[in-house]
Amino acid sequence: MMDVKRIVSRIEKNYITSNLKKEQRIDGRGLWEYRDLKIESNTISSAEGSADVSLGDTRILTGLKYEIGEPFPDLPDEGVCTIMAELLPLASPLFERGPPDEQSIELARVVDRGIRHADCIQTKKLCIKENEAVYILFVDMYVLNHDGNMIDAGGVSALTTLISAHLPEGKIGDNGLEWTGKYFTGDELVKELPLVMTYGKIDDIIFLDPNLPEELLCDGKISISVTEKKITSIQKSGAATFSIDEIKMLGKKSLEIGQNLRKELNLLQYRTSIK
Amino acid sequence: MPLIINDEYPEKLFREDGKRLDGRDLNELRPIKMEVGVIKNADGSAYMEWGNNKIFAAVYGPRDVHPHHLAKPDRGILRVFYRMATFSVFDRKRPAPGRREKEISMIVADCLEPILFLELYPDTSFEVFIDVMDADGGTRCASTTVAALALADAGIPMKSLVSALAVGKIDGKKVVDLSGIEDKAGEADLPIAITWYNEEISLLQFDGDMDLDDLTEFLDLAKESLAKIHQIQLDSLKSKYVTLKREEGEN
Repeated sequence: MMDVKRIVSRIEKNYITSNLKKEQRIDGRGLWEYRDLKIESNTISSAEGSADVSLGDTRILTGLKYEIGEPFPDLPDEGVCTIMAELLPLASPLFERGPPDEQSIELARVVDRGIRHADCIQTKKLCIKENEAVYILFVDMYVLNHDGNMIDAGGVSALTTLISAHLPEGKIGDNGLEWTGKYFTGDELVKELPLVMTYGKIDDIIFLDPNLPEELLCDGKISISVTEKKITSIQKSGAATFSIDEIKMLGKKSLEIGQNLRKELNLLQYRTSIK
Repeated sequence: MPLIINDEYPEKLFREDGKRLDGRDLNELRPIKMEVGVIKNADGSAYMEWGNNKIFAAVYGPRDVHPHHLAKPDRGILRVFYRMATFSVFDRKRPAPGRREKEISMIVADCLEPILFLELYPDTSFEVFIDVMDADGGTRCASTTVAALALADAGIPMKSLVSALAVGKIDGKKVVDLSGIEDKAGEADLPIAITWYNEEISLLQFDGDMDLDDLTEFLDLAKESLAKIHQIQLDSLKSKYVTLKREEGEN
């Protein structure tokens, strides 16, 4: 068992902050380094797409289900995608049972916005018949172990789940909805690949991918979602304040880190091939 | 909401060659894989793949009781929370726990309580969280089995392990370990758990109809397979320490 408490001891706090001042982290990383990312896709046979992502010891399992429903009246030819997050009490003594709390809603919202505003999901392809039938996708994230920075792990997990999607193709015939027997897959559904990067701030030091003790200690965090060339969403949380120069620097840094990470992860390899 | 895809049951649950649809014999179990210590934050944890079922269990405790009025001054309490992921079944499950999940939580707790020494832990609670990520029949039995393993991994004193399994009748034949489709399309389903310290039954449910001979046969059939499951549980507990010992030896 790891030692997980709501409060970080003063001695650990001093150790973490004095190391950060020397640009060192307690787990040996540099300031702009991610922990190891491990991805497995399509692990859940009941889901229409899934991904099991570990970022260090933070682990998130995400699955995709769908329903056929009516589109929103203002977007008659577009499907719908909703993202939900659940912080399972199994994952950490810090998580409690009950309806979603602020933390899980923030996780779902930040991941959702990063994907929604990025021209990622081609919602028009999720339309079966205008004004009548569209796919409604549910991307549900379950946190299986919490060791800090659930947002970045969730972002990769949700995106990989969408890429691994395999949805039966439907059409509206004379007798209502019919299935053609074919499938369409995530690589047809997804265009841009948005990644979200979260930075913690302690005093005036900023660092990427806070682990749990760093996250509990830090004054605040900022999450920036980027596509290949654009910033698509930002969320600042916690009591810290960021200077304008810092935010400019982080925007630039995120694009750089995002480009490298996108190349390194090569997420499109997780698409499902349908025989 | 229109039906997603026709989820029709096959007419026959046996193939031409007399084997079951997934190729098993009458008394053959699905492949079972168990691993302990998979959730690092928990005091004890276990993961199980049983056929297509994928289940995580984690134990926290002994710890303070929340809400405190549930605490008992003379003994500890055991609370079990069985949940299914929204994507673990064919039609998306609603995220909030339903009646079925609450019932299963209760029967799993009833299976686990006899093997613990709760009287040694006054004013505390043991919480067992079971999350089914992929479901394909027999999750209540699999959950009981994996939860016992997580308790053992937490180092909590136990009288013995408990193992569980469903036996049932499909197309008039008695089989062990019903898969999802056999469970839905078959005639009878009988989940059984056994506590090994006294070799007695701690879970028994049944729906269908049978005569006295059937009952005897079912119980004998179950006991044979439960012994196999017990062995897998013991092996997976030991393998954690075999790995540790090997790592120690290398250094």
